[in-house]
Amino acid sequence: MHTGSLKTALFATSALLLGAAAPALADIPIGHLADQSGGTSDVGVPYAQGVSDALAYINSKGGINGTKMAVDSVDYGYQAPRAISQYKKWSSGSDKIVALQGWGTADTEALTAFVGKDEIPAYSGSYSGHLTDPTGKGPHGSKPAPYNFFYGPSYSDALRGMLTWAADDWKKKGGQGKPKYVHMGANHPFPNAPKEAGEQIAKELGFEVLPAVQFALTPGDYSAQCLTLKEAGANYAYLGNTAGSGISVLKACQTVGAKVQFMGNVWGMDENAAKAAGSAADGVVFPMRTAVTWTGDAPGMTLMKDISKMSDAAGTAYRPVHYMAGVCTAYYMKEALEWAGKNGGLTGPNIRKAMYQKKDWVPAGLEGVCIPSTWTETDHRGMTQVNIYRASVKADTGASVDELVKNGSIKLEKVATEDVPRKPEWLGW
Amino acid sequence: MANVSIIPSGDFKTSYASDTTIFPTKTSRNFAILGVLLLLACPAFMDRYWLSLLIQIGYLGIAALGLNILVGFTGQISIGHSAFFGFGAFASAWLNNRWGVPVALAIPLAGVLTTGVGLIFGVPAARLKGLYLAIATLAAQYILQDFFGRADWFTGGTAGTIAEPLTVFGFAFDTDERYFYVVLVAMVVMYILGTNLMRTRDGRALVAVRDHYLSAEIMGINLTKYRTMSFGISAFYAGIGGALYAHYLQFVSVENFTILFSIQFLGMIIIGGLGSIMGTLMGTAFMVLLPELMQAATKLVSGTAIDTALNLRENIAFLREMSIGLVIILFLVFEPDGLAHRWKQIKAYWKLYPFSH
Repeated sequence: MHTGSLKTALFATSALLLGAAAPALADIPIGHLADQSGGTSDVGVPYAQGVSDALAYINSKGGINGTKMAVDSVDYGYQAPRAISQYKKWSSGSDKIVALQGWGTADTEALTAFVGKDEIPAYSGSYSGHLTDPTGKGPHGSKPAPYNFFYGPSYSDALRGMLTWAADDWKKKGGQGKPKYVHMGANHPFPNAPKEAGEQIAKELGFEVLPAVQFALTPGDYSAQCLTLKEAGANYAYLGNTAGSGISVLKACQTVGAKVQFMGNVWGMDENAAKAAGSAADGVVFPMRTAVTWTGDAPGMTLMKDISKMSDAAGTAYRPVHYMAGVCTAYYMKEALEWAGKNGGLTGPNIRKAMYQKKDWVPAGLEGVCIPSTWTETDHRGMTQVNIYRASVKADTGASVDELVKNGSIKLEKVATEDVPRKPEWLGW
Repeated sequence: MANVSIIPSGDFKTSYASDTTIFPTKTSRNFAILGVLLLLACPAFMDRYWLSLLIQIGYLGIAALGLNILVGFTGQISIGHSAFFGFGAFASAWLNNRWGVPVALAIPLAGVLTTGVGLIFGVPAARLKGLYLAIATLAAQYILQDFFGRADWFTGGTAGTIAEPLTVFGFAFDTDERYFYVVLVAMVVMYILGTNLMRTRDGRALVAVRDHYLSAEIMGINLTKYRTMSFGISAFYAGIGGALYAHYLQFVSVENFTILFSIQFLGMIIIGGLGSIMGTLMGTAFMVLLPELMQAATKLVSGTAIDTALNLRENIAFLREMSIGLVIILFLVFEPDGLAHRWKQIKAYWKLYPFSH
């Protein structure tokens, strides 16, 4: 009797332990590469926070079809080799990741062949046009990237949209002769990605294309670059880097008096950058990936604010545009995982197929925030609509971003929506 | 007296051959063989984390040995070693991708190409010494780094290039367990070559150049030849190390081969012991394992009373970087002759125990 009850107790305990351990074993492994200390950390931190909060929120609501995700977030410092070696750890062994939340252009493009071979869908923070061609049939020699997805217009399409706007803007302002366009950025895959595409359409739109101007990914003194712009008489300049170094350029150009209409990329401007650059950021245009900003009014903002509470329990933090883009990206992955789970299991090919199921897809709960996107088996340009916003910065920017936005010192105003044509010859470029 | 190797009394060397033998006693040779055999068994019971560290020690150790031949044995200085390491990596990937040279052949060929580059950048060494030579090698670092960033045809530019895994007769060495053996074989071969080089006429000439270049010249040693040659040998080792690295990671990108990496190589050989083959390996192991050790230490500290008392939180990651710097400084203060020297002292202590003085 005595031993019997002991045995029963032991058995019950071990069963309990096993029961508790079982779901942990079956967790869905997700890799998350973030830049929290490298050259693009200024925008990498809020984006990664968005991804992490969204995934944590999904887990808190039961995960994917009732199974939690085991998210491994790693700061790779914007060093492509570190990203690769981390990926190799993730992609080998028994706990091989099911999907990857990635970041930079250099590492994502380098990983394209790896994720293609391992069939691991990679959702990147890089919007390089090279990642939009799943079959590798694009006429500009793009390599096949069947497992690469990103949420937003590609760098090239965004620049095409902005240049189309710029050509109109030039006419509206009554500019005489040919406007001059210059591409600016570091000699790095990320700023370089849309360079040729932008310069080509600029020529077609009647711009005079000036030789590209280089500036590093890190903040510094870029007066020399601004003097070049001034002497060459550039009218429109594309800033290919992230906001951090972009601010240095904006400030330096304000100081030397170069009157140029700057066009940032999606990572080139946000509320924090507007605050840091102050009046120098006034008038900068950039493409935005969400339909509203943090203070905007949309049905999806309720969920967005709940997600934000994962890392800010008080719910008072102001989240920049990159945070919201991170949440959207994570939610596209979430719905793809759910579909795959119900339609044959969580394998790479199934998740990829899931990405093609919907047209004008907006993740449930984020209506009015994430912009409708469509991916097809032959075209990974999820979005070709470019929403161009202008940063309006007034007076002193000493207060917190939250207050500045509230009192209207910093405003992100929509100036135009350009629908970039989905030309087949632009695929993968 | 603790720093000379101890041999039984009455056991005199009667030939030059026995004087320059690699292993002074049978036991030391057996231990070395046993060590290699133990390493051969490693993939069977070690997890990937440890294997990847051992592989790192392997290819970095090969490159570091090259630098030690240049700095420790010839008395030159180079703060551009990582650029040669990078050149070897790119060259091997390029030979394979562009010309279809099998990886097994591309790795040694990359070493040869890097030797050529090393010889070119070694030319100033014939005329410059000390700090001036350091600056000349700094130039090599920056010239090559810039070349990597721009030579699209060779390196893929800033986007980097893919390096295929090593395949021999259809067998791909594409996992850590398999690649471990490639690196181990390469390391053993390169270290034996290095050890033997130092026993030859040329090796003795290099040491003579280091110890007193004027005397060496008077004895008939061609300084220009040996100084340049030393650069070439050093670059060869760096090239082989780099090529092994390229086919291990299967991706090469310019951002890795910075001056910081060159300084790290110098750190390895200084901590290990200048002019010591075995010390090179010890120093490399030290530099590879120290950050991991510190990482583990910071993980232990995080969340404990110390963490909350000092309010460290996310700064704990920086604690790791700082401790690495601190350990290196302490090491240089208390162990200026490197790990190799300490190792000898430990051996002697146990041999003479309990009468070490």
